[in-house]
Amino acid sequence: MTVLADHPTASVASIGEPRLLAGVAEHGRVDHTQHLRLHGTPVLRRRSWLATALEDVNLLGRGGAAFPVAAKLAAMPAGSHVSVLLNGSEGEPASRKDRTLMTYAPHLVIDGAIVAAHALDTRRITIVVHDATAHDSLVRACDERTDAGDVRVVRTHDGFVGGEIRAVVNGLNGDRAVPPGRRVLPHEHGVDRRPTFASNVETFAHVALLARLGTSGYARVGATTEPGTSLLTLIGDTSHHGVFEVPNGTPLSVLLPPSPAPVLIGGYHGVWVRSAGQLVLDRAALRAAGSPLGAGVIARPHAGTCVVSEVVRVAQWLASESAGQCGPCFFGLPALADDLAALAAGAGPERADAALRRLALVRGRGACSHPDGSALFIGSALETLAPELAIHQHHGTCGLPPSTVLPLPKGLS
Amino acid sequence: MTTIDVDWTRCDAHGLCSRLLPEKVSLDEWGFPVVDGREVEPGLVKAARQAALACPALALRVQSS
Repeated sequence: MTVLADHPTASVASIGEPRLLAGVAEHGRVDHTQHLRLHGTPVLRRRSWLATALEDVNLLGRGGAAFPVAAKLAAMPAGSHVSVLLNGSEGEPASRKDRTLMTYAPHLVIDGAIVAAHALDTRRITIVVHDATAHDSLVRACDERTDAGDVRVVRTHDGFVGGEIRAVVNGLNGDRAVPPGRRVLPHEHGVDRRPTFASNVETFAHVALLARLGTSGYARVGATTEPGTSLLTLIGDTSHHGVFEVPNGTPLSVLLPPSPAPVLIGGYHGVWVRSAGQLVLDRAALRAAGSPLGAGVIARPHAGTCVVSEVVRVAQWLASESAGQCGPCFFGLPALADDLAALAAGAGPERADAALRRLALVRGRGACSHPDGSALFIGSALETLAPELAIHQHHGTCGLPPSTVLPLPKGLS
Repeated sequence: MTTIDVDWTRCDAHGLCSRLLPEKVSLDEWGFPVVDGREVEPGLVKAARQAALACPALALRVQSS
């Protein structure tokens, strides 16, 4: 198992000029003085301007669901009672992009929050963050500036499922930090049970850039279908390691030098594919291709290592992360992890059939996306890693050293 | 149209829904309901409502729109 260093400065890089991470390569953490030099003070726009601009640049939420931010804004009432919520809990264990952004460019995140709050005519801003260094950097950033007096930075201690926005809202409101059973959305019942404009921290950094650069300036970089850049976390046999800012539209092959090893796109709720092929960094296109980008994790084990053993370990971890609220997830994910372990040890095709049946019993039968995302990870592994699994079935092992690229939270093996 | 929804956070696999509405609800290997198609045929709406009322965990919802 690899535990990624939490804050590897050397591993922050970009293709082309960095935007979100501007100044980071030179300064490390961009303090307020440097931030003002790079970006100036936040450009406050009217709600109608922001709504049009968000639609024009097709900004999609960066937490994993890629929901259009313009639609989220359109659903919001305005006024001093509403809240703005920035989710920096980054529960996905393979992702480092949110804590990197908050640690090194905290002021851009805060700028985005201020822009959104201004458009909604409110001053209520909450940032939730799990990582200690990122938390401290944000708190320091609020002290470094005079316009962040209303920003509340809250440290959370919840895992993968607890990082889902509705679970975050429950935790903030003093309830258990698990997703609600009923379909309750933050724009109706959010922070303090009031309407809340909630998104991932990277989304807000893009909102700040969009307000500053305007639509055409923002769209100077990226794909026509999805302008701008994205933060990715690259892991294993990739062209770069760590957090990478990449213009949208970049072919994934640029990030993945040729190798016979399979690729994991989207993290632990993501999809195994045999190769990146013709895929490009475009959320709609990746979703259409059946491999959504999720929270921006792209991982590839090294050729000549055993991927199956690593898939088993991640599946066991996914099972352990069930909040225990919903039976099909609580019982189904451990059963699926056992199926995978048995297949790795040489079980026959009837066990693979059992796993496929169980996948169907897990999908769509929970309060949150954890069972569905886990089923996507396990199901795509069964399909894509069929050649590797066939070797395991015949010999009980593949004889290769285990792959050790996919990180799990510390203390787990 | 009448539909059946399960609140998975409430469901405790008592299984009464499957006994009262076997035409629509079977149980998976762990005892949790597998609903056959979301739409309830008109002739089964009354039985579906009874099943929802009988659920000890109040996990079954029958909604008409």
